[in-house]
Amino acid sequence: MIKIESLSYTYRGSAVPALQDISIQFDFSKNSITSVLGESGSGKTTLLQCMAGFLRPQKGRILIDDKNIRQMKEKEFRSKVGVVFQKLNLFPHLTVLKNMTLALNRVQALSIEEAASKSDKMLERLQIHELKDMYPAQLSGGQAQRVAIARALVLKPRYLLLDEPTSALDMNTTEDFSVWLRSLHETTSFVIVTHDIPFARSVSKKAVLIENGQIKMHNKIENVMKSFSNS
Amino acid sequence: MLFKKRTFTGQFLEFTRICSFSLFITLFCITFISQATNQFRVALTGKYPPFSFYDSDGNLTGFDVDISKALSDELGFDLEIITIEWDGILAGLLAGKYEAIIGSMAITPQRQKKVSFSNPYYISGAQLFIHEKDTSSIKKIDNLSGLKVGVVLGETYEQFLRTEYPQINVITYKSTVDIFQDMKNRRLNAFFTDRLVGMYQIKKAGMPFVTAGDLLYHEEMGIPVSNPVLLNDLNNALSNIRSKGVLDSLHRYWFESQNSVSSQTMNINVIVNRLLKGFGITVGIAFISFFTGILFAIPCGVVLNGQKSLYKFVLRSLIDFIRGTPVLIQLFFVYFGAPQIGLTLSPIVSAIITLSVNSCAYMSEVVRSGLMSVDPGQKHAGRALGLCRLDIFRFVIWPQAFRIAIPPLGNSAVALLKDTALISVISVGEVVREAQSIISVTFNPMLYYIIIAALFFIFTYPLMRFTASWEKILKKRGFMHD
Repeated sequence: MIKIESLSYTYRGSAVPALQDISIQFDFSKNSITSVLGESGSGKTTLLQCMAGFLRPQKGRILIDDKNIRQMKEKEFRSKVGVVFQKLNLFPHLTVLKNMTLALNRVQALSIEEAASKSDKMLERLQIHELKDMYPAQLSGGQAQRVAIARALVLKPRYLLLDEPTSALDMNTTEDFSVWLRSLHETTSFVIVTHDIPFARSVSKKAVLIENGQIKMHNKIENVMKSFSNS
Repeated sequence: MLFKKRTFTGQFLEFTRICSFSLFITLFCITFISQATNQFRVALTGKYPPFSFYDSDGNLTGFDVDISKALSDELGFDLEIITIEWDGILAGLLAGKYEAIIGSMAITPQRQKKVSFSNPYYISGAQLFIHEKDTSSIKKIDNLSGLKVGVVLGETYEQFLRTEYPQINVITYKSTVDIFQDMKNRRLNAFFTDRLVGMYQIKKAGMPFVTAGDLLYHEEMGIPVSNPVLLNDLNNALSNIRSKGVLDSLHRYWFESQNSVSSQTMNINVIVNRLLKGFGITVGIAFISFFTGILFAIPCGVVLNGQKSLYKFVLRSLIDFIRGTPVLIQLFFVYFGAPQIGLTLSPIVSAIITLSVNSCAYMSEVVRSGLMSVDPGQKHAGRALGLCRLDIFRFVIWPQAFRIAIPPLGNSAVALLKDTALISVISVGEVVREAQSIISVTFNPMLYYIIIAALFFIFTYPLMRFTASWEKILKKRGFMHD
């Protein structure tokens, strides 16, 4: 469970707060996928950055499984919450496999062989095993997106935050990607920040709607969508 | 580096061992020899051709050496020649380390206060030399108004000309070799140097220069002795060898005939050995300086790329200062400045320190820009995976920055290798210095400068090719944005 309590964030030099007194409770009873919807500039990426521990909110707190993230050690926090950035940020000098084994080896202290076999299995499970020895520059947008998710998933985080995962995909690949993504959430719960409504509807049951830095709605995806199209 | 250090220590130990051994031998000889009455110990520098120098086989020879032999034969003594630096040659005589100096020492009132001189054994002085084509237009010094006249920097002729003949355009040179080149190219109208030395060098170099006019002033060369009893014998011996014609024939041999020159050409093996040894030193110094430089450039680059801090401010100012001043001045600063704070560094160590610091300054900038070119998202990705800061730097940021930095680092290496040519000025025996020394004997600068350029190019060309091909690989792998 991720719980956000009266969170506010204002960027330095800005008069208007990007997030204003936000409170939400993400309940992932069945390892579900929750979408965070909103127009550009609504504050949804700021919310993700706060949840990912990259921005430090001026007010309020974030609880992960009832623990304030401010009080968590970085290592403990990172082992629970994974992030996939909009720009993916794959390591261009490493192959897909090495991108995955680096943290297994350095953070989870697995041996190189263990890390490699674990990554192999993950790639196979995600049906992208053939990409194993390629460099990020050789991947298509959809492949790179999947590899970035695989890199995060192999560390087995409890929660995975995705920022605009469909921004680099065309419509057909987005559909494939939705199908693929729905098959993943066995042990990990997803929070997906997106402005792509068809995609959100196809992958998630619940959604949060953000407008001008405030929560407009948190409900079933159908209800949120109705409200979104009305506004 | 470690390996090199050990060699230094090794050399140092060996050096001390040799020093103590030779000290022991010298002391032993001095105590032993001072009791032998027939010993005639003569000092000279061994560095003043054609008066005293080592020939291509490594034997001490020259006019002064032959005079010493003739005199000791005449006196019936056993000759022993001691070579010593000019700076300490009188002090050694006063300390009784030898009986006489036969080293072309001019008789001056100042010197006469300290030691007694024999009668002069030859006379030389400031001589005007001109191109043989100018013999009709330039007959004496008064014809030189407004013309260009060369002298070697630091010789007494320069001061003399500037005060006595202000209408002459005096141009200073580093050595006679350079003067000869400009005379040959007709950039100079005339030059001044010691009459005998000049005649010898012209003959040796086969240059079309001739003397013009009389000696401007002359110097009488005498033999300082420590023991007044010896003085009479020596003066007698001198007049004897003069009347026997020995003095004249030696004079002719060394200063007029071609015979003395033929013994002077340099052995090709010696030349090749010296050039290769010099180039080895050049490459060695460049290598050590490069790796010391990059070792410090990495942390410096990290600080420069980091947030505002006192370290960053100090480092930035220092690096800007080093990059904004000539490396030659930095070299002098280290070499001549360090002894003033009680640190006497050898020329090689001074050169390595200067070049390391200098290349570190340039490479810090390269490292900084390499680090800057890495997308900040990479750092976030590392953090998101839970990597610690050091691991992020080591496995994510640095490998990418380094790949970007390789081409400019290659350029730095090339620049550094070429900069080593400068260190010849503080008498490090690197390739340029060795070549200059060879040229001072063989008088064909163009040949040796071409050889040196080729040697440098052999090393820098692959480096430059490597740099270029690396850039291609970078683009292929998607590291470099066009």
